[in-house]
Amino acid sequence: MNPSYFVGIDIGSTTIKAVLIDRNQTIQGQVKRPTGGNYHQNAKEAFDQLLAEADVDPEAVGYVISTGYGRKLFKLADETISEITANARGAVKVGEGAGTVRTVINIGGQDLKIIALDEDGHCSNFAMNDKCAAGTGRFLEMVAVNLEVELEELGQLHADCQATPVVINSTCTVFADSEIISILAKGHSKAEVVAGVHYSIARRIARLTKRVGVDGIVLFDGGPALNPGLVEAVQTELMRELLVPQYPQMTTAWGAAILALEAAQELHDA
Amino acid sequence: MSVLDRICNEFPDNPKAMGRFYRFFEQRHQGQADWGPAGTRIGTACVQVPEELIYAVGATPERLCNGAYTFDQIGSEFLPIKSCSLVKATHGVLAMQNRPDRLPLVVLPTTCDQKKKSGVLLEDMGYHTWVMEMPPYKDTPEAVEYWRASVAKLAGELERTTGRKITKKGLRDALAKTQAAKAQYRRFHQLRKLDPAVIWGKDAFLVTNSYFFAPIEDWTDALSQLNDELEKRRDTGTSLGGKKAPRVLFTGSPPIFPNLKVPLMIEELGGLLVTDEVCSSTRLLYDAPAPVEEGKYEWVESIADRYLKPCTCPCYAPNEDRKRKLARLVEDFAVDGVIYQSLSGCQLYEFEQKPVERFLAERGIPMLYLESDYSPEDQGQLSTRIEAFLESLKTKKRKRKL
Repeated sequence: MNPSYFVGIDIGSTTIKAVLIDRNQTIQGQVKRPTGGNYHQNAKEAFDQLLAEADVDPEAVGYVISTGYGRKLFKLADETISEITANARGAVKVGEGAGTVRTVINIGGQDLKIIALDEDGHCSNFAMNDKCAAGTGRFLEMVAVNLEVELEELGQLHADCQATPVVINSTCTVFADSEIISILAKGHSKAEVVAGVHYSIARRIARLTKRVGVDGIVLFDGGPALNPGLVEAVQTELMRELLVPQYPQMTTAWGAAILALEAAQELHDA
Repeated sequence: MSVLDRICNEFPDNPKAMGRFYRFFEQRHQGQADWGPAGTRIGTACVQVPEELIYAVGATPERLCNGAYTFDQIGSEFLPIKSCSLVKATHGVLAMQNRPDRLPLVVLPTTCDQKKKSGVLLEDMGYHTWVMEMPPYKDTPEAVEYWRASVAKLAGELERTTGRKITKKGLRDALAKTQAAKAQYRRFHQLRKLDPAVIWGKDAFLVTNSYFFAPIEDWTDALSQLNDELEKRRDTGTSLGGKKAPRVLFTGSPPIFPNLKVPLMIEELGGLLVTDEVCSSTRLLYDAPAPVEEGKYEWVESIADRYLKPCTCPCYAPNEDRKRKLARLVEDFAVDGVIYQSLSGCQLYEFEQKPVERFLAERGIPMLYLESDYSPEDQGQLSTRIEAFLESLKTKKRKRKL
């Protein structure tokens, strides 16, 4: 049987994302579930669920590429690829309708990446945060816990902020924790704190982009791009419009699926 | 799995002659911690200590720079927490062994402030130390005079410590030993230029790292056998890593066994380390002194010059020579990209990151900068960066071919 489907699976530090595409690179199914403690098992379940929901026989899947922090642990993959290359490929695809994406800002569970793309859509340079989880999805989760709000409420709180957002200097999760407590103790509202947190992350992104430069259409993806407050703060700090895809968490998995299709074609041609 | 197991068992096509080098490490790291040549040993904390002078007094140099995370943690008890892992580990192992009697002298050149200050603390522990003064510049006549005087003072201290005189004959014999070793290294250096490659960089790092402590005659003989085998490989058309593997140059803070974290990762992720510009490897062995055949003092001077002039340590300001050397290595070894690692707290290498990156960028050579230390916790993040960098080098390589 000629394989008609290809899978990209992005095993992130917080969430596993899997995308199924056909020969035209069109998404035929997508799945998202927490990474948890058992990478391989949970990734396998995501994979099975992906095929079951799309009603696709495993035999019809031609090639699987895993990416993300846990990429090496998913034994069913034909190949692994770094999330930077996969994200770059996905960003080009996602931006097709809008023009040529030349810069990608990605915030993951524990990473913050800026990827510069050349005119062919290949990664030409990138910058990442250091080994702490400063300004990442994990940091936003911790802020939500401390403020006793849901992660999904952060965007609304940002919009509700009537006063000037407070300045939060520390993006280190541990130090920011105590800084936020002292700000709340001074009588600032939750909304001011949330907006302040978003701006502190946005400033960090702006600093990182200086290392690789910002050019062309700027795509913002990863889970935290679902937060409109953060999107607004990053746009303000970069003084640029951002392109946020409909499913910002899925870009990298989609990119991996396209790379899987390309790898299968290359094998076929050889 | 130990680092040595990874190096020996996780790669295909290890040359048979590497076996002797693997055994040097088994003996030193899994057997006796002080395994090495018999007789008096003089500790050195830097590549800038002239080994010829030590051999000339009938002693053996032992490079103390240490790469073990365990000793890094022990060193943290004695040195400021933000010092670099290498200095902490070197201090840690000496504190742990607590055997000032084993090393009658420890020589610390003032290449870096951390080494200089840790020497003072070693003295408090009972070690007899000698701080070797380095000039902050290398290309002025004053710097040359200053350094020659510093080398001459070390010669005097070595004579006092061992009770033996440095003679012309002693120097000639010492040079014969080190020149023989370096001749084999230069042969090895040439063989590493081959494309397709005949040896992995992880093995090359073991060759150079074992020079720190292995008996020099054994080491030279082992390398001569390895070179013979590599020449055969060249003639029979062995190729490592495949045609697509990007050829990488490693520079920055020195990787020292067992801290081969980044070099190993580069090759495990599909790169080929074809050469390096670090003081634990190529810089240690490539340059040899050209002695002036006159009196003893001229010999000492020409040895001094050999250590000063080719040195590209970032302790010099300016350090244009390092850039020139990098550009030459990139060209000679058909390098696709450079990986520059600084150990956290190693300010000198951190300082030179930007100028070196700019210099390489102007020549169209991609560079990846990594900051790391001896702890294992950043492996995940490092591997993402290294893999992405290698993937982008592969893409560029493919595009060039089209």
